[in-house]
Amino acid sequence: MSSFDRRAGMQFVAAAFMAVTIALAGPAFAQDAFRFGLAMPLTGSQALYGQDQVKAAEWAVAEINKAGGVNGKKLEMTVLDTQADPQLGIQMANRLVSVEKVPVFVTAWSAVVKAVAPVANDNRVVELSVGANSPDIAKLGDYVYTTFPLADIDITAVAKYAATNMGKKKAAIVYINNETGIVAAEVYKKVFTEAGGQVVAYETYDPKATDFTGPLLKVRAANPDIIHLQGLVSDTPQVIAQMRQLGLAQPISSYSAAYNPKLIQQLGAAAEGVIATSLAPGADDSDTVQVYVARWSKEVGREPNGLPYTQYLYDAPYLVAAVLKSLDDKKTPITGENFRKEMLAMRTFALPMTGKTTLGEDHTVVKPVYLMEVKGGKWTRKAIVGE
Amino acid sequence: MQDTTIILQILWTSLATSTYYVLFAVAFALVLKVTRLFNFAQAAVMTIAFYTAFIAVQWLEWPAWAAFLLMMFMTLAASYALERIGFEALRQRGVSVMFVFVFTLMVSEFIAYVAMLIFGTWPQTIFPTIFWPVTIVGEIAVSGWDIPAMAATVGALAAFFAFMRFTRTGQFMIGVADNPDLAELYGINKRQIFLAAMLIAGAFVGLGMFLYGTRAQVLPQTGLSLMLFAIAATIIGGIGNIAGAAIAAVILGIIQNASILFISSEWQGFLLYIFLFLAIVFFPNGLRLPRRRGRFGTATRDIPLGRDAPPAESQA
Repeated sequence: MSSFDRRAGMQFVAAAFMAVTIALAGPAFAQDAFRFGLAMPLTGSQALYGQDQVKAAEWAVAEINKAGGVNGKKLEMTVLDTQADPQLGIQMANRLVSVEKVPVFVTAWSAVVKAVAPVANDNRVVELSVGANSPDIAKLGDYVYTTFPLADIDITAVAKYAATNMGKKKAAIVYINNETGIVAAEVYKKVFTEAGGQVVAYETYDPKATDFTGPLLKVRAANPDIIHLQGLVSDTPQVIAQMRQLGLAQPISSYSAAYNPKLIQQLGAAAEGVIATSLAPGADDSDTVQVYVARWSKEVGREPNGLPYTQYLYDAPYLVAAVLKSLDDKKTPITGENFRKEMLAMRTFALPMTGKTTLGEDHTVVKPVYLMEVKGGKWTRKAIVGE
Repeated sequence: MQDTTIILQILWTSLATSTYYVLFAVAFALVLKVTRLFNFAQAAVMTIAFYTAFIAVQWLEWPAWAAFLLMMFMTLAASYALERIGFEALRQRGVSVMFVFVFTLMVSEFIAYVAMLIFGTWPQTIFPTIFWPVTIVGEIAVSGWDIPAMAATVGALAAFFAFMRFTRTGQFMIGVADNPDLAELYGINKRQIFLAAMLIAGAFVGLGMFLYGTRAQVLPQTGLSLMLFAIAATIIGGIGNIAGAAIAAVILGIIQNASILFISSEWQGFLLYIFLFLAIVFFPNGLRLPRRRGRFGTATRDIPLGRDAPPAESQA
């Protein structure tokens, strides 16, 4: 082959390469689609929640697009895996902001939400926390908002209900020694004490522990009227089993992590009387939720892990779409800064799964808390607090 | 007296829950002693053991004894494959100890990842329920799990130490552990001895995971996190000292649980790391009791951990 032929060949290859690159890159940067990010744990110990939450968000995006998208433009969601690890979360947030150039991204797990907050604030991109409940989330900066009620609400409701409605005077708090447990335990202690109760035991356990005898015996010695357990889905059944085995027959309250059908299966009669919280209406309260739960049963063959969390994740793309639509109606450029301004101007959103949502001035959101109790081997509604 | 009850309850529960830790520690210490490998792939065998029992009981609805037998078969098969396909091939290539260490870590992560793909990340147990009925003896709560677990562990350990003391294979193991090349000169087939050590360790791991999985929830990554305790017990018990590792596992469990009587519960989990740190820095060969004559106490306390390290005799 002559040098001319070689040069022509190389030029052809280069041109073809560029054409393919442009063709591939084209859809990603097309103007006929709106994009946002979703950074959740798809692998790792928290993936049992994360995967179902992502599925819920994907269903919502599909529904939005099926109904015509956002002003006729497709809504696209870029999903990245954080493994619920703060370090990995920062990497994923940087990718969403710098590479994917999204104006808003959704994430969860308190440690991740906190870790990525500087990325959102520095780049003026909105971070929507959907599912994390650390009260600190309200103080993470101008670009961090939550659509999920923070622990103050969830734990405040259950602590206040125990002290006032259930008439409990002495509470013991058992919590896992990590971000989820420490903050919520402090909230419970403060609220229960302010409501006139007394915290007689305040014990923690290591996230890697497989035996909880020591802390539980201290609780037993304190003889509380009620025990509040702030653990994770993986250790909560075992802690409750050991409580009952050690003769702790008191009512046990917990929060949304305990609200799953597997807890009853694993504990049998020992689960009776366990109180958990739910931050979203159940199938009995809403036709939309009933259809949604039926869809899970039909398509996945089970209920979602952490049903209320998935309901909030289902709603998140609807909130994002509503803000994007408003911006598009006004022909305002889609930037993180404009997204934030428009979201705050709109402030109240009617969301399909969890209902009316108003973003507070103080970066919080207020929703009713559903108290659920195991009765006759089933989760039944005990009360609604803050309706 | 309430304090006495608390102490006795902690002691009892610690003894009961130390059963699986003892089995994991003995398995790890045995492989380290005989093959001189830090076998982190033990976590992979643990994962295979648990999920085999889980499938047999929860998916196939087999009775517990049949599930146990299937689990032991799969565990031994995994140990066999690990030795013959993995370690033996690496030995023949003359790779460094560090390379083998990385290989074992990789195998564990790989199996955990496969388990996650197949079984998801929902925590699982072998039986649908983890609540064991309780009998109150004196003022101590004794769960229906405790005594069978302790009996199975004591039985397994007694059989193992009898095997090591009274059988030719057991004595060959001690010989290979002391000096594999010298043992080979005396006609011992070290290839077979390495395999025997892996299979016995596999059996301990299988039994340990069956006990663990009937009491606690397991995730694909659980095997790896359980390894930390086994490693700590092996180091504190004295590398190469199997009985020391077993005793260290029991003592560590008791100290960790009983510490709540003296320190805040939030420091309990930290204790293991403190012990591990102190052991590595100040007692790299383990906490030794006064030297006594015996097969497990003296023969292989100092074992070379690197391929280029001098034989045990020259270190003495």
